[in-house]
Amino acid sequence: MKFTLPILLVAATVGLMVVALVSAGQAGGTVGIAAGSAISGLTPKASTPDQGLTNFLVDVQRRNWDRAFADLAKSSAPDKESFIQDWIGSNGSLRSFSNLESFEPRPMHANDNDAQMRVRLHWTTPVGPIEDVRDFQLAKEGDVWKVIWPKIQTLNVPAEVIPVTYLRWDLVTGTASEDWGSKNIDAPHVRIISMNAVDSAEGVVVMGEIVNEDTIPAFVNVNATVLDGSGKAIDDETSFDKIDHVLLPKQVSAYRIDFPNLNLRDVKNVRMDTKASLVPASADPVIGVMNQKVETDPQGKTVLRGDLMNESGQTVNIPHVIASFYDNNGKVIWVSDGYVDRALLPQSSEPFAVEVPRSLAGKVQGFHVVVNQYSLGRS
Amino acid sequence: MLRTFLILASLAFSAATVGLSAAQDIRVPSSIAAGDEATISTTGSGKATFYLIGPSVSRKNDVNLGEEIKLQPRDVQIAGNYLALVCSGECRSANFYVSPAKPAALTFLVHPSRVPVAQGDAISGVAFPFDQFHNLVLAPLTVNFQLSVSNSAMFSRQVKTQDGAAWFRTSSGKSAGAVQAIATLNDVSTRRAVQQVASDPCNLRIKGERTKTGLLLETEPVHDCGGNIVPDGTIVTFTANEGDTRSTVDAPIKKGIARAQISGTAAATISVASGVVIGNELRIGAK
Amino acid sequence: MQSASKILSYSNSRRGAAVVALVLACGFMLSAADTPVNVQLNLKKAGPRQVESLTEQAILRDYRLAWTSIAQAFETSSADPLEGPFAGEAKKQLVDVAIQQQQSGLSQRYLNQTHHLDAVFYAPEGDVMELHDTAEFQLEVSTGGKIIHQEHIVQHYVVLMTPAADRWVIRHLQAVPQF
Repeated sequence: MKFTLPILLVAATVGLMVVALVSAGQAGGTVGIAAGSAISGLTPKASTPDQGLTNFLVDVQRRNWDRAFADLAKSSAPDKESFIQDWIGSNGSLRSFSNLESFEPRPMHANDNDAQMRVRLHWTTPVGPIEDVRDFQLAKEGDVWKVIWPKIQTLNVPAEVIPVTYLRWDLVTGTASEDWGSKNIDAPHVRIISMNAVDSAEGVVVMGEIVNEDTIPAFVNVNATVLDGSGKAIDDETSFDKIDHVLLPKQVSAYRIDFPNLNLRDVKNVRMDTKASLVPASADPVIGVMNQKVETDPQGKTVLRGDLMNESGQTVNIPHVIASFYDNNGKVIWVSDGYVDRALLPQSSEPFAVEVPRSLAGKVQGFHVVVNQYSLGRS
Repeated sequence: MLRTFLILASLAFSAATVGLSAAQDIRVPSSIAAGDEATISTTGSGKATFYLIGPSVSRKNDVNLGEEIKLQPRDVQIAGNYLALVCSGECRSANFYVSPAKPAALTFLVHPSRVPVAQGDAISGVAFPFDQFHNLVLAPLTVNFQLSVSNSAMFSRQVKTQDGAAWFRTSSGKSAGAVQAIATLNDVSTRRAVQQVASDPCNLRIKGERTKTGLLLETEPVHDCGGNIVPDGTIVTFTANEGDTRSTVDAPIKKGIARAQISGTAAATISVASGVVIGNELRIGAK
Repeated sequence: MQSASKILSYSNSRRGAAVVALVLACGFMLSAADTPVNVQLNLKKAGPRQVESLTEQAILRDYRLAWTSIAQAFETSSADPLEGPFAGEAKKQLVDVAIQQQQSGLSQRYLNQTHHLDAVFYAPEGDVMELHDTAEFQLEVSTGGKIIHQEHIVQHYVVLMTPAADRWVIRHLQAVPQF
């Protein structure tokens, strides 16, 4: 009798361990290690396409590159280094600072020998969570399923010397002692040229466009305060990163300010406030936005796609796209933004896509894209 | 007898009280100019503590009643109301004002530091006269305002200060360049600079040609409507519409001209804009 | 019975008197900075620029804060409260007073402040405003815990205020015999 409880406890522990080790499952929503394997080296056999892909992505998540590379089909024969680079990023890109948090695979079609799976990848990044959707082909080799890795096109940027002749502005604070009026350099003149407040699934969104009317660069931020019927402030928010903060002379940027959990019917007035300050800046790099087109992606979402073209000689580490969408009256009806997780090498291009809400897709008659950029080691 | 004693006692007490009052009194100057020496006279005898409280002073000294208390120039540099206290048992107080000295500096605020050319009432300035101790001089004074561009006078006006302030407002000139703004009061003057810059681009025109990889676009020299070249760094947005796709480049102006390369081989309609100013359209055929 | 009720009423009245005395003592123990500063602003003479409604509210708020800070600084002989609401010469002068009070052992209390402000000049670009303040307050000067001077003050001030990052600050504060 006195041994009953200890025996039961041991049996329960062993039983739970066995269940944890052998049960298959998805990794969706869990942080770190995928379901189905809590201990390295004990992934279940890839006897199904789903399990084969899960094993592969778990190895990628753990950065176990040897095992991940071993999960690839022989027919792929990719270069291991470029395969790893594709996952961990390079050139100080956003991917270099990101981690694969979780994934959700979904079968598209499968037969005895090959299968296609669509995976929603959830990345944690310094700029917040980013979701990516990717299709994977799998093939059965023997009795296990392996991932067919597509041939990676490595960008060959030819060596060349590119003169930088674009304008640069420096800020000199001055050495004069405190003499009221002697250090007067006016803040840059910026002006909000449009403002629109709409309801969205997450709350109230205030958006529009702002222009730098001055002849010097401006660091801008747009704040908004929503007021109720009695003129009392309900909430105030700022545009955060949904604006191109550094505006060169006569440059126009969209801005978007989100008020979560608020309904437009409770808002009677919106008070806008812009803050513009002097900032050192450079007109370089010039980034062209090519082949912009609104279309439907494989998931049925309306997206604005295009290619970012770096026309300068310097790597843009983290490009950030901000797009404003207009109706047929030229009114801004939505502002979307998205980060490109690959660096823009000199004289090269990278694709981008930003989503348009389904409810507004039919009303979009025009759009304007600006590219914000963060380059490491530049002032 | 008792009544006599009481009367004598009350008289003695009153005398003593009066004597106390007479022994300790304080007299301050009727007016002092900032930075001048001054004296405060006291009556009575014995030791006392002197307190001086003013706009930038709060000190105490041991003094001898009956002697003059010298106020050093540094004690009364700041214009305003001063409280002098002499305490010996009980305290006596007196207030006096220190007025500003003669003007020795002009604070001159000019706005804006950059202004588009040919704008009405675009430049304004305010001047405040201060003495050498940074006291605002409130007496009416005449300030002369002058604006000049490349040594030629653009604007000149004499303004009398009111409550210590004089101001002006004028239009910006027709040509881009640095404007010198000078405010003068007697032999005191202060300079400021205003940069006159070109206004919005006017008649924005582009030309373009097809290259092996796409399109090479260029503006004609960009001027404002007054003929001033628009400053370098001003952004010009080139837009190329090819079928159902669009390409845009935000290019900065260099030496009056903005250039951009756009990839694509289809026939394209090119347009250009800078800020809220829109230029001409161009049609280029397919490759 | 009668003596008992007399005793009761006597003890009640004593208790009541003690309560009143305690309340009064608490009132006297309130610092000058705790007593509210009343500010009224008249914009009829303001010009050439018209004073915006938000500017008017900001001036009222920041002027009130400035004088609350002066009262606090002079009562505690500390320069810390003067950090935010002042700039330039005004700040320098007030800080000098606070520091000298520490050395001299003096302190001042500004009680029951009322300020009637008239805006007399508002620059065309809105970067400076001149105000005339008719201030009324009870001044107490003390040293070593002993009040050596008490006076009801009516004082005229010429004030220059300028906009800072998130508030209006007093840049110049000068007492004058009359406007």
